Amino acid sequence: MIEGALWRRWVFFYIPLSAFIIALLFPFYWMVITSIRPDRELYRPWNAPNYNPFWTWYPTVSHVRDLLTQTLFTTWLLNTMIIALSATAISLFCGLLAGYALSRLKFPFAGSLGTIIFITYLVPQTLLFIPLADIIRNFHLGDTRWSLILTYPTFLIPFCTWLMMGYFKSIPKELEECARIDGATRWKAMLYIIFPIAVPGILSAGIFAFTLSWNEFIYALVFLSSPGEKTVPVGVTSELIRGDVFYWGELMAGALLGSIPVAFVYSFFVEHYVASVTGSVKG
Amino acid sequence: MVRIDRRRLLKLSGAGAAAAASGGLAGILASGRAPAYAQQANVHWLRWSDFVPASDQLLLNQIVPECQKALGITLRIEMVNANDIQARVTSAVQSGTGPDIILALNNWPQLYIDSLADVSDVADKLGADQGGYYPISKAVATAGGKWIGVPWCIGGGLVAYRKSWFQEIGYDKFPDTWDKLQAAGKILKAKDRPIGQALSHSFGDPPGFWYPWLWSWGGKEVEADGKTVALDSKETVESVERALPFWKEACDSGGLAWDDSSNNRAFLSGSISATNNGASIYLEAKRKPDVYQTEKGAPMYQDILHAPLPKGPGGQYNLPGPFTNMLMSYSKNQAAAKQFVTWVNSKPIFEQWFTSQQGYTIGATKDWANDPIWQKDPVLLPFRNLPDEGRLMGYAGPPGRASAEAQTKYIIVDMYAKAVQGTAPEDAVKWAQGELTKIYS
Amino acid sequence: MTFTTVAAPSSYVGTPRRGPVTRLLEDERWLALLLLLPTVVLLGLFIAYPFVKGIMLSVTDTRVGVPGHFVGLKNFEDVWNDSIFRVAVWNTCLYTVVTTVFKLALGLWLAVLLNRNFRGKTLTRAFILLPFIIPTVLSTLAWKWMFDPTFSVINWVLFHVGIIDSRINWLGEPGLAMISVIIVNVWRGVPFYAITLLAGLQTISPELHEAAAIDGARAWQRFRHVTWPLLLPVTLVVVLFSVIQTFADFQLVYVLTGGGPANATQLFATYAYQIGIGTGLLSQGATISLAVFPVLLLVVIVQLLYIRKVETH
Repeated sequence: MIEGALWRRWVFFYIPLSAFIIALLFPFYWMVITSIRPDRELYRPWNAPNYNPFWTWYPTVSHVRDLLTQTLFTTWLLNTMIIALSATAISLFCGLLAGYALSRLKFPFAGSLGTIIFITYLVPQTLLFIPLADIIRNFHLGDTRWSLILTYPTFLIPFCTWLMMGYFKSIPKELEECARIDGATRWKAMLYIIFPIAVPGILSAGIFAFTLSWNEFIYALVFLSSPGEKTVPVGVTSELIRGDVFYWGELMAGALLGSIPVAFVYSFFVEHYVASVTGSVKG
Repeated sequence: MVRIDRRRLLKLSGAGAAAAASGGLAGILASGRAPAYAQQANVHWLRWSDFVPASDQLLLNQIVPECQKALGITLRIEMVNANDIQARVTSAVQSGTGPDIILALNNWPQLYIDSLADVSDVADKLGADQGGYYPISKAVATAGGKWIGVPWCIGGGLVAYRKSWFQEIGYDKFPDTWDKLQAAGKILKAKDRPIGQALSHSFGDPPGFWYPWLWSWGGKEVEADGKTVALDSKETVESVERALPFWKEACDSGGLAWDDSSNNRAFLSGSISATNNGASIYLEAKRKPDVYQTEKGAPMYQDILHAPLPKGPGGQYNLPGPFTNMLMSYSKNQAAAKQFVTWVNSKPIFEQWFTSQQGYTIGATKDWANDPIWQKDPVLLPFRNLPDEGRLMGYAGPPGRASAEAQTKYIIVDMYAKAVQGTAPEDAVKWAQGELTKIYS
Repeated sequence: MTFTTVAAPSSYVGTPRRGPVTRLLEDERWLALLLLLPTVVLLGLFIAYPFVKGIMLSVTDTRVGVPGHFVGLKNFEDVWNDSIFRVAVWNTCLYTVVTTVFKLALGLWLAVLLNRNFRGKTLTRAFILLPFIIPTVLSTLAWKWMFDPTFSVINWVLFHVGIIDSRINWLGEPGLAMISVIIVNVWRGVPFYAITLLAGLQTISPELHEAAAIDGARAWQRFRHVTWPLLLPVTLVVVLFSVIQTFADFQLVYVLTGGGPANATQLFATYAYQIGIGTGLLSQGATISLAVFPVLLLVVIVQLLYIRKVETH
């Protein structure tokens, strides 16, 4: 607690906190203001006189309109959403099962398998994307959504698994044993007793996986090529820079609109997201 | 569980293949019509985002519908940043699917020889019909006696400069030697009007300046046998040594990070006085005379002239930028693609596109030198003669695969970049020599 | 004689008949196998298999469209002698170390600030995570616009405050470009550190602080002797995650500078992409990716050992 004088509270709390908030959120404000600023105001050098960058008196929707009508932005949004949801579903499914197995079942090599799954997390996408492109081609998945839906779980599953392991470990074994004494099979006990308790964990892992999928770039960049198949990050960076000109108005509108779905979904699950971040660290 | 998984996996591969073949829902939506299965021929053409936007508009708004009417082919044109084209080619070849035709710049086709279809039938006929191809177009588009691409056009660079600014400091004509340019640049830079030159990894401006720089001092990459690397020579070291004061005294230091459009923007906003570039700066200024103005309020395009790169002790050179349409061998629409390429290069169709370019590019076949467009604006006339006077990368050897790899790795450009950032000239040259030797071996 | 049914305590009373599959699933080992199968298949197919393929690529001379021949360790030798590769590795290490230090320091500070109760705390906490949530590429584009040499708003602010009088070429000068890239990475990562460390802080009971305060410890000493040691396990895990991600970072540099100017911000991931996909020299690209993997592994192992040591303390 900062006791004492008001000035101390200001210097040690309000000012630093405000500074952080401004620094962290300013780029988003900049995205918004650039998206609605008319072109003639946008392209003025930084030292031109009479130039107020933080506000515009002539907001325009032309950038957003151009973005939505002249590019395949809405398609990219749809693609990204489908891919993220599918990949999240697959990862949750695998992570749930694997987490349960690793934390509550005894079997040989349990420890090593857990370690191996951890090690796969260490293999970054930037290491695998070149050989993976070959594999994608051999499975005829090139330039389709499935190339991403099947490869995204590779970096989502380890995380989901740990998270679920953390949740499962905190559920007492007695719960299951009671159920089994009452005649339930191990399978049923798992499905009807344990999993429902872990729902908060599932939500947390799900929202984290969702935001991570939305954020992925290099696989999408390398495996997709048709404009109609692209995801938002790849589409915005590759198709809104035309020759000479960076269409900053449209680019920022694209960045903004591309961020909104994730932010929106996230806003419903903030608590779960925070729990997942902290849970994974503690687990 | 196991059975579900395998079934799922098989279903997925099936769905994936079907989606890839039909181009996806988006493709159908974009073309605004219901999917017609089977007979419809589709051609996907990947191009760079043209520095003359009017030409891209023409392609999309006129050529696409005309193609549909004349050939029954649904043409899909995709335009991307030129620097991304090579990555797209690699991804497409690696994943076995992608655009049917890809427009390549410089001598990139030489890098992909094994992935390109033989288009000798198309190219031979077009060449015969239109007065023959320029040697540089042919050099980059052929390998082993076959045509691996159909040349589209040739881009050229000249120095665009502000006439009034040079006149103010006493130069009625653009300096014609490097020494004179350096002296002029020094004065201009002191007035905050430096010369602007990209020294970075971008496909057009950096090689377009630094290869001719190297040649103008007498340096070269390989001997005429095409194998012996001859970069490390007295002339090359001198070219590097002389680049240092030129860069420091006369050039905008930001050039280290410029891409191909940065000098356009800098020139049009009045930050630089001269830059080696295609005609896009002039054309853009002419297109918007009230947006781009001189400090006196006059339209800037009236103050822009073009001059060739200055000479050095080894001569005066330029590096043209040939464009070639490559037909990818993985494409399943090869017949339609060939039909399209023949049609779009035919006189009446190509003429429309060529006119929209307003002299930014030169036709790959010699007949286009007689096109009326060259009479329209004397400021652009100097561009017409560039292919005859140009040299390609890999000099004195042929512009084959090794030189394409050297260019894509920006070895020559980096040699100068390293020196400018502090590496001793001899070391920079030795490094470049080592890199070239690895490639040519 | 009538048999009275004695309700004998039998394990089969009231239980349904079980088929062979259910019986199999009762066995922990078979159940585990089944549950782990999807994960193992996916990870095996799309991580283990490409990893092996990557190794095979790196010992051949494959180019795009051209299958290669075995060349042994020649690629590794070439890569080792490649001065740009060395620059890329150095940049990657510098980038990782500097950003981690700043993210930790700033994240900790922010966590301490957020550990108080104030109005709008929950809302603030939700909002400050935004930089981490939003796709990296999109927020980096906003930064690219903010750093633009001709139109930079940052330059505008600094100019009008009087700190500079000619433009700062954020992305154009080699040294500044690295600083810019570090700034964006720190901006993005601070919320992640802050939220995680905040959770860690909240598990430290206030009584400990009170006890220390009663004993006469000042704020800084309280932090050093009470807070920090208790926070260490969480800190180390966060740092581990963050180091792995930052070391393999691609998107940020790709969008902001493309590796330039003149390789000043080239990281090993962007270099591998440039050589492998950009130039089509697949084997060389794979080699660059793989060459750094041992370094990453080493860093991770060291950290894991340290974590274990701290935890068993």
